[in-house]
Amino acid sequence: MNALKQKDLILYSGLIILGLAAPFLFSAFKVQLTYLCVLIVLAMTWNLQGGEMGYNSFGNILFYGLGMYLTSSVQVGMFFPLAEWTESGGEKTFVHTTAQYFQGIGVGLLVAAIIPTIVAGAIGYAILGLRGHYFAICTLGLGIAAGEIAGGIEIIGAGQGFTTPPFPAEIIDPEARGQFFYFLSFVVLVLAFVFVKYIYGSRFRLILNAIRDNEDKAEAMGIQTMKYKIVGWMCSAFFCGLAGGIMGGLIGYIDSTDVAFDGREMGVFMVLMAILGGKGTLWGPIIGATLFHFLKEGLWTFILGWQYVALGVLIVVIVVYFPEGLMGWLREKYPERFGEVIDEKDRKAQVELK
Amino acid sequence: MNKIVKLFITSISAITLALVSFTSSFAKVDGEYIVLGSAISLTGKYSSNGVHTQNGYNMAVDRINKMGGVKVGGKSYKFEIIYYDDESNPKRAAQLAERLIKQDGVHYMLGPYSSGLTKAIAPVTEKYKIPMVEANGASRSLFTKGYKYLFAVLSPANQYLEVAIDLAVEKNGGKPVRIAQAFEQDAFSQDVRLGILDAAKRTGSEIIIDDKLPKELNDMAATLAKVKATKPDVLVVSGHTKGALTAIRQISEMKVDVPMLAMTHCDAAKLSKQHGKNSEYALCASQWHKNLSYKDKFFGSGKKYDKDFKKEFGYAPPYQSAESSAALLVFKDAFERANSFDRDKVRDALVDTEMQTFYGNIKFGPGGQNVAKPMILFQVRCKGDTCENKVVAPTKWASDKFYHPIPKWSERG
Repeated sequence: MNALKQKDLILYSGLIILGLAAPFLFSAFKVQLTYLCVLIVLAMTWNLQGGEMGYNSFGNILFYGLGMYLTSSVQVGMFFPLAEWTESGGEKTFVHTTAQYFQGIGVGLLVAAIIPTIVAGAIGYAILGLRGHYFAICTLGLGIAAGEIAGGIEIIGAGQGFTTPPFPAEIIDPEARGQFFYFLSFVVLVLAFVFVKYIYGSRFRLILNAIRDNEDKAEAMGIQTMKYKIVGWMCSAFFCGLAGGIMGGLIGYIDSTDVAFDGREMGVFMVLMAILGGKGTLWGPIIGATLFHFLKEGLWTFILGWQYVALGVLIVVIVVYFPEGLMGWLREKYPERFGEVIDEKDRKAQVELK
Repeated sequence: MNKIVKLFITSISAITLALVSFTSSFAKVDGEYIVLGSAISLTGKYSSNGVHTQNGYNMAVDRINKMGGVKVGGKSYKFEIIYYDDESNPKRAAQLAERLIKQDGVHYMLGPYSSGLTKAIAPVTEKYKIPMVEANGASRSLFTKGYKYLFAVLSPANQYLEVAIDLAVEKNGGKPVRIAQAFEQDAFSQDVRLGILDAAKRTGSEIIIDDKLPKELNDMAATLAKVKATKPDVLVVSGHTKGALTAIRQISEMKVDVPMLAMTHCDAAKLSKQHGKNSEYALCASQWHKNLSYKDKFFGSGKKYDKDFKKEFGYAPPYQSAESSAALLVFKDAFERANSFDRDKVRDALVDTEMQTFYGNIKFGPGGQNVAKPMILFQVRCKGDTCENKVVAPTKWASDKFYHPIPKWSERG
């Protein structure tokens, strides 16, 4: 047991050092690395529902988009009238000082974490009674509806979009902005990992698994499934909101359907990444997101114009050949590496039964 | 577990090594080539206009390279463009701009298609002090942000259809008109809407329908039903290529009678070809028309550009292609006047641009927008079964008289 812990320690410290050094090692790739961190957070937290709880949610994009709008609105609204900032074609320009910018984004991220969590609780209370496909379709609608609604609210720019505050001009170093957002996303990634890892060792995970495997039985055993389902979704919403807030600041321009409530891309990607890596495992979504990001960046460059065809083929290949994801596939091939002991006699006995 | 951890660490270090060795950046000027970068919409909702833009860029690159290239410091250089597909998505566009600048080492950018994407890219080019000449981002709010490295060869979006309202008022004997309008929910169309609001205020006109249409526009029957019921004097629609096609299709299907129909993107949508007689009398805002009398030594006149473009790409150039070609002419001119590859010198040369191209005069205002070129309006007119776009405003270039009001569907053959 002790030896394993030591190995874990080496692995984690190695990864953290790599994470901290990455923006300096691959200075040109900072933005992609930030995306990677955000993608991992999204995949990892989606996995709490889709993988552990068995509730395939397409609605997590709602919290992501909400977080994005909230962070930027707070960041602007704290110092300037929001309506004048977003007024389409507005003639006035407002400039954040360095202190205002960082205070704004700090408070903004805090709000972006809390409000989506509350929203998740409220919506969860209403719709988590749905199961299976009904839940999936319902959450799909949530994301689309949110995009259309946001596109009609003038104070956040409506169809014109929302230009987020530019990085303070007083910081002259052009690398600073990339580094700031990278480290922000890396911190969120580490927080999310620690949190998910903690959940993996807790009774909470077992309850989520019980809900996935047989919800009625779980309820019959005296578990208040509704309560746990809502709490599980709120956990995801917390991190999705944070991730959205960071992305908004990084992209610099929020469009209601294409950037914030981007269910068609981000919303699908987070599901895809978790499935690619193997849902219901700790490392699956992380590996899936990393692999997906590399594949995507590669495909998107080398087969210009055909990337979505390639993505479609990729999805088919994943579903057909790796239905359990990479981790699931490895687990099937090398069960002993995952600490599963197979009783050969027992296995043969079962075969003979047929 | 042990082996997996090892495998994981090995693969991570392998990727690390690969990436580090890959981070070699190209030079802004590579041998005899001046490398420009552009994120362009090859897929997604703006793909048709993205391709028009790309064709315009490519046409100009070929032409300039063939005619002696760009002379800087006594040496002749050729243009080369690195393209990426931004999928009509602002998030992707911003990321690609970073990539072009940081990884591909591009020092000069050409704009993407549409205002929304330009809005997403401009903060990035501004941060790295990369001059960007763009030809397809018309939203007014682009030019009020104090950007110093953004130059647009086109007129701002709010000017697109303002003139149309003035025309309607004029035809109404100087009295205010009743306007019905429907705009797509995107940065460009919403700016066109602001222009109409201004014009309505100025002329005392009343806006009786003010609808927002979804992106990826395929249906506007609800708006048209209202138009049928309320009988406005003028109907204004803007929603890029799809908006123009949808509007004409449904207006003709539902036989909506309205005295005046003003739109954008008629030529990009090839309305006169696709819908023929059904599109007749539509009034369209355009940045350019081949019949205008501007000239330059690379493309000659607008008519010659039209002919050469047709030969090369097999369709008549919409203004999106023409303005994109003009962007390259501006860059060439600026490089030669700066006589240097220094980004700031090129930028300063861009500020002083004052030239005529086949597409129009170009001179940049303080916000970076082109202030030397007016918008024009043309109307689709048919003779038999062939339909053409005829310039009707401003009067200086008008080849035909503006036909008003549009005959009722029951009277149209």
